[in-house]
Amino acid sequence: MRASKLILPSIRFRYRLTYLIAALTVLGAGCMFVGFNPLGFFTEFHYVRDLLGEMLMPEFSQVFSNPTVWGSVLQTLSMAFLGTLFGCLAALVLAFCAASNVMPVKWVRISIRALLAITRATPGLVMILIFVIAVGLGAFAGILSLIFITVGTFGKLFAEIIELSDYAPGEAIYSVGAKRVQVIWFAVLPQTLPSFIANMLYAFDINLRTAISLGIFGGGGIGLQLNMAIKVLRYKDATALICLVIVLVVLFEKISDYFRKRILHSVSLH
Amino acid sequence: MTINGFSLKRYRRTVLPLGLLLLVTVLACLDCGVSISQLWEGMVKGFSFLAYMFPPDWSAFGEMLQPVLESIVIAVLGTSFGTFLSLIFAVFAASNLTHPWIRQITRFLIGFERSIPEIIILLILVAAFGLGAMPAIIALTLGCIGMLGKLLADTIEEIDSVMLDSMTSVGANKLQVVFYGILPQILPNLVTYALFRLEINIRLSVILGAVGAGGIGYELEYAFNMLNYHRAMTAFLLILLMVLGTEQVSNLVKKRIKGREVLL
Amino acid sequence: MCSIEVNHISKKLPDGRKLLDDISFWVNKGEFVGILGASGAGKTLTLRCLNGLLRPDSGSVLIREEGGAEQDICRAGKKELRKIRQKIGVIFQGYHLVKRLTVLENVLIGRLGQIGSIRSILYGFTDGEAEEALLALEKVKLTSHASARTGSLSGGELQRVAIARAIFQSPTLLLADEPISNLDPSNAKVIMKIIKPLSENLPVIGVFHQPEMTAHYCTRVIAIKEGRVIYDGSPHLSNDLLVEIYGDELKQIEISYHSLPSSLVNEQV
Repeated sequence: MRASKLILPSIRFRYRLTYLIAALTVLGAGCMFVGFNPLGFFTEFHYVRDLLGEMLMPEFSQVFSNPTVWGSVLQTLSMAFLGTLFGCLAALVLAFCAASNVMPVKWVRISIRALLAITRATPGLVMILIFVIAVGLGAFAGILSLIFITVGTFGKLFAEIIELSDYAPGEAIYSVGAKRVQVIWFAVLPQTLPSFIANMLYAFDINLRTAISLGIFGGGGIGLQLNMAIKVLRYKDATALICLVIVLVVLFEKISDYFRKRILHSVSLH
Repeated sequence: MTINGFSLKRYRRTVLPLGLLLLVTVLACLDCGVSISQLWEGMVKGFSFLAYMFPPDWSAFGEMLQPVLESIVIAVLGTSFGTFLSLIFAVFAASNLTHPWIRQITRFLIGFERSIPEIIILLILVAAFGLGAMPAIIALTLGCIGMLGKLLADTIEEIDSVMLDSMTSVGANKLQVVFYGILPQILPNLVTYALFRLEINIRLSVILGAVGAGGIGYELEYAFNMLNYHRAMTAFLLILLMVLGTEQVSNLVKKRIKGREVLL
Repeated sequence: MCSIEVNHISKKLPDGRKLLDDISFWVNKGEFVGILGASGAGKTLTLRCLNGLLRPDSGSVLIREEGGAEQDICRAGKKELRKIRQKIGVIFQGYHLVKRLTVLENVLIGRLGQIGSIRSILYGFTDGEAEEALLALEKVKLTSHASARTGSLSGGELQRVAIARAIFQSPTLLLADEPISNLDPSNAKVIMKIIKPLSENLPVIGVFHQPEMTAHYCTRVIAIKEGRVIYDGSPHLSNDLLVEIYGDELKQIEISYHSLPSSLVNEQV
C-alpha cells in the first residue's frame, strides 16, 4: 500500500532544512580552516580595482613588436601540437593493450591500466617539475609533460571506446582466418575512428591551455612570458599577453570545431 | 580519374594531409628544440632521478597531512560555490528562460571565462589579493562556472517546452517554474557534472597550490626548490592518494545516486 | 462559476496567411464544448488564445466571473495574466508533468500561482494543501500512487494526474488540448468519464480529434476549418458536416465514428 510511504510536506521541509544547515556548517568549517572569508572578495574588492587600473590599458605596441612574443606563440602552438600528436598516438597504442576485447593477456591489461591510472592521477605540475630536471627548462620539457598528461587523460577513455565497439564485425573477420592486427584494422578501427578523431581535436584544445599553464613553470612558450611580465610588475604587458592568449584559444576552438565537423562528415561518408 | 592505378582523388585525400602533418611535425620539433639524443639522455636522467627520489621521507608524512586537507577543502569549496553560481548563470543563459539579449551576454561571459586558463586567473588574483586560499578558491569557482554554466544551460534548453508551458498555465512565475520545473529535472545532471568538476578541481588545487595557494602543491614545489627530493616524493605519493581517493569517492556517490534513480 | 466569451479573434502570419479568422463563441458553466477540425485548422491555436499562451492580433477573450467582473485575457499584463491563470485549469496532450517529482507534488504544483513565490520556494506546501491534493487524486482514483514518481506511470494515469492538478486549482474554467489523442480507446473513455462531470460546475472546452467521443460526451461541438468557425451546435454531426470539416482525413474518422457508437451505446455513459 503505497500511501503509507507518503511524506508530508512539512516533514520533508524539515529534512531539507537539516541537510542545508549541515552542508552550510561543513562549508563554513572549511572556510575557517583555510582562512577564506567569502565576503572578503567584496570588502577587499578595492585591490582588484587597483590592479585592474594598473592592467588597463594593455600595451599592445610594446608586446606585439617584440619578436620573442611571437616566437613564444609559435612555440606554445608547437608544444600543443606535438604533445597532442604523440600523446594521442601513445594513448591509442596503450588503449589497445588495455582493452579487454583486443588484448587477451590479462596481466598485460591490468598492468597497463594501473600505469594509466597513475599517469592520470599525477598532476601536470609534478610532470613538468620532473621533466625540467631531466631535459632542462624549455619547450621540450613541456612537450614531454603534455605527452604524459594526454596519455593519462585519454588512455582510459580510448580503451573504453574500444571496448564499447561492436564485436560482431570482429568475429566475422576472425572466422575467415585473419590475424588479430587485421581484425583491429578492419573491424575495430572503422567503428571507433570518429570518436578518436573527435577526442584528438578536443585534446588539442585542452593541451593548448595546458601548454600555457605549463609554460609558467618553465615549460616555455607564452606561459613563461606571462609569468615574467607579472613577476616584474609589468601589468600592462601581462594584459596584452592575456588578450593574446584569449584570442589564441578562441581561434583554435573555432578551427578545431570546423575540422571536427569536416572530418566526421567525410569519415562517415566512407 | 585513374591513371595507371594511381588515383588523383585518393592522393589528395590521404597522402597530402599525411605529408602536411609530417611537415608540420618536423617544423614544430625544430622550433621547440626536440632532439632524440637529448630525449634518450633525458629519459635516462629522468628515470635515475625518479629512482633517486625513492624512498620517500616517511617522517614528513605526518606534517603533510594538513596541507593535503587544505588542498581538498579548497577544491571542495571552489566546487560548491561554483556549482551554486553556475546554476544561476545557466538559468540566465538558457534560451527557453530568458530574453535573447540576456542569453547572449551571459553565454559570452561564460565563454570568455572558459578561454582563460585557470592558472592565469590565479596569477591575476594573486597579484590582487596576495597569496593564500582566497585567490585559489575564487579561481576554481570561476572555472566551475565556465564549465557547468555551459553544460547546465544546454541541459535546460533541452527540457520539453510543453512542461514549462503547463507550469506557466497554472499561473506560476519565473522563479517557481525554475524551482519546481527545471531544478528537479536537471538534478541528476547537476550531480554528475559537479562530481566531474570536483575531480578536475582537486588536480587544479594542487597546481594552483604551487603558485602560492598553499596546500600540498605548495609543499611539493617547495621541496623541489629546496632540493629535498625525498620530501618531494612524499608529497607526490600523498597527491596520488588524494586524487585516486577522490575518484573512488565520486564513483561511490554516483552509484548511490544511481541506485535511487532505479524508481524512474 | 462563470462564462467565457470569445470575440472576433484573428491572427495572421507575417506573410499574410490567416491562422485564425474572426472566431467568436460563448461558453457557459454547465457546458462541455468540443472543438473539432482537421489538422492545422486552428483548433489548438484557438485554445491557446483562451489562456493567454498565444496573443491574437485582434479581438478579445473575456472571462466573466460570478458577480459580473470581467477580464480580457488578450489585454492583460503579466501580473493580471498570472492571476487569471490561477483559476484556469489546462490539460495538455503531451507529458507535461515534472517527471522527477512525485504524483502528489505534481498535483500540488497546480496551486503555485495561488501561493506567494517566496513561500512556495523556501517552504514548499503546507500539510493542509497536501490533504486537499489527495482529495483531488481521489476524484481521479489515483491516491495509491501519490508518492510514486510520475516517470513510472502509464499514459492514462499521467493524464489523470494532470486532471487532478487542474481540479486542485479549483478552477473556474477548464481547457483541454487533445487530452485523449495519445491514449488507447479504453483509457480515453476513462478520461472522458472523469472530465464530463466536472462540466456541471464550470465551462469545459476541449480540442479533440475524435468526433465519436465528442458525440457521446460533449454537450456542444464547435467545428473550425481553415481558421474559421463553420459549425456551432449539437455534438451529433451529420455525414455532410463531417466531410466538410475533415475533407481528406475523413476516411479514417468515418470508420471510427460509425463503428464506435454502437459499442458505446451498450455502456452506461
